[in-house]
Amino acid sequence: MTVIHVPRPSKAAVNLDRPINALLLAQVQHLHEAEQALPHSYRSKTYIRAIKTEGEAAAYVREVTEAIHKAHADAVAARAKRALTQKRGFEIAASAAEPASKPQQNKAKKKTKDRTRPR
Amino acid sequence: MPTGLDNLRHIVVLMMENRSFDHMLGSLTAANPAIDGVTDQLGNPDTTGALVKPQPQAEFQGQLDPDPDHHFPAVDLQIFGGDTSANRVANMQGFVKSYFNQQRDVGHSQKIMYYFTQDQLPVLTTLALEFAVFNRWFASIPGPTICNRAFAHYGTSFGRVDMNPFNLIEPYKSIYTRLVMATPKHTAKVYYYDTASSTMEVVNLLQNQPELFSTYPQFLKDCAAGNLPDYSFVEPNYSDHDTDGGEEVANDQHPDHDVQAGELFIASVYNAIKANPDLWATTALLIVYDEHGGIYDHVVPPACTPDRFSASANVTGTGMPFAFDRLGVRVPAVLVSPWIPKGTVVNRTFDHASIPATITKFFLGNYANRSPREISADIFIEPLGPSGNAANNLLSLAAMRTDCPDFD
Repeated sequence: MTVIHVPRPSKAAVNLDRPINALLLAQVQHLHEAEQALPHSYRSKTYIRAIKTEGEAAAYVREVTEAIHKAHADAVAARAKRALTQKRGFEIAASAAEPASKPQQNKAKKKTKDRTRPR
Repeated sequence: MPTGLDNLRHIVVLMMENRSFDHMLGSLTAANPAIDGVTDQLGNPDTTGALVKPQPQAEFQGQLDPDPDHHFPAVDLQIFGGDTSANRVANMQGFVKSYFNQQRDVGHSQKIMYYFTQDQLPVLTTLALEFAVFNRWFASIPGPTICNRAFAHYGTSFGRVDMNPFNLIEPYKSIYTRLVMATPKHTAKVYYYDTASSTMEVVNLLQNQPELFSTYPQFLKDCAAGNLPDYSFVEPNYSDHDTDGGEEVANDQHPDHDVQAGELFIASVYNAIKANPDLWATTALLIVYDEHGGIYDHVVPPACTPDRFSASANVTGTGMPFAFDRLGVRVPAVLVSPWIPKGTVVNRTFDHASIPATITKFFLGNYANRSPREISADIFIEPLGPSGNAANNLLSLAAMRTDCPDFD
């Protein structure tokens, strides 16, 4: 089986200060649009028009992507909590509606006059 | 039933960025004349009128700076050579002129004709020669990334030819939604590199269905554990950025990112699948590029079935409307599977609408609500059963190959 060596790029290939390209600019704009639908507590404090480099764009992309995931995860958790609270409420209500215990029943029964017995 | 198709359980699509067929695979005509790459007869005029031939002088980084223009008006110039008349004919003669517009430097503009040698791209060229290479895979529209990637997700770009956010229009659902909502349910994931790179499909998918997304490290774990979904779409790293573990280099190959980094990434995806023997036997991997990035290719894009959408003259920027009735420039596309005969060359026409078309037909069969472009798109993996076309089946070997390469 042939093993083919793949050369690694030089360390100089990385440049966080490279000017942002059109694709990353578009991605930033798309994420900015999505960010507007998030509640304020999830939003970044980044002014996107000040993003000029790849490194700055990536930092913003990370922040908003993670915020979107977190907002959804928090909503799922809240939904689960509500469902659990509701289920417990049903259980409590169901147990309160159960019939009274036996001694109470006998007492009620004794109060009834026995009219079958001869006087 | 062909054994390769019968065993197929997973399809993985890796979509890279902004390189044309001739630029990346054009050198392979010398190794296999059936591959329609670079020949001595090709060329483009520069702004002095001199003919500039393609040259094997492409560099990994620092050469295509500024980023060649690949927006709709520039691609129109590249394809039609500057002819804007009503009965114009595409001639692929406008690439050097288009690149000249960005820097007004004759010498620099000629670099748009440069291509890589085979040994500069050991991963992509090996895969192209070892498995199936597509001579006629085109971008879906003659324009930029966002709308071309939309065709891969939805089978349409909903009338968009630009990079602005768009909202999907019913009844067309993403291929991921179709799969996960099907009965029986199928599985699908979009693996982006990490959260700092994220996805290019934000406004519709990430914002509304974040559960569809995972990361590349998870893709590697899923491959190792045999937990890949039925369909996986892998996105490369779109930016150089910091992480807790150090700096990450962009590996999408979008100019001016280092092309070697992208080669490493392609090898990583291939190796991850191949390292799990059960997965290797049951997976097909498509490596494709979203669009040509403004870089030279010699094949005239064909006409295609018009989409139900259109872009007005104001939107295209060319002064002419666009009916989504012709494809974009040719891009590299390679299909990998141990069931594909070595040296397969495919000459049928494909574009990115072929991706949801193929996935839908293979996993779901008949599905009504698809764009006219997707319905008419050719498929690269035949469905099981009588609806499949045996003559077009690329996974045609009766036994799995044992001679497939590894990358170190």
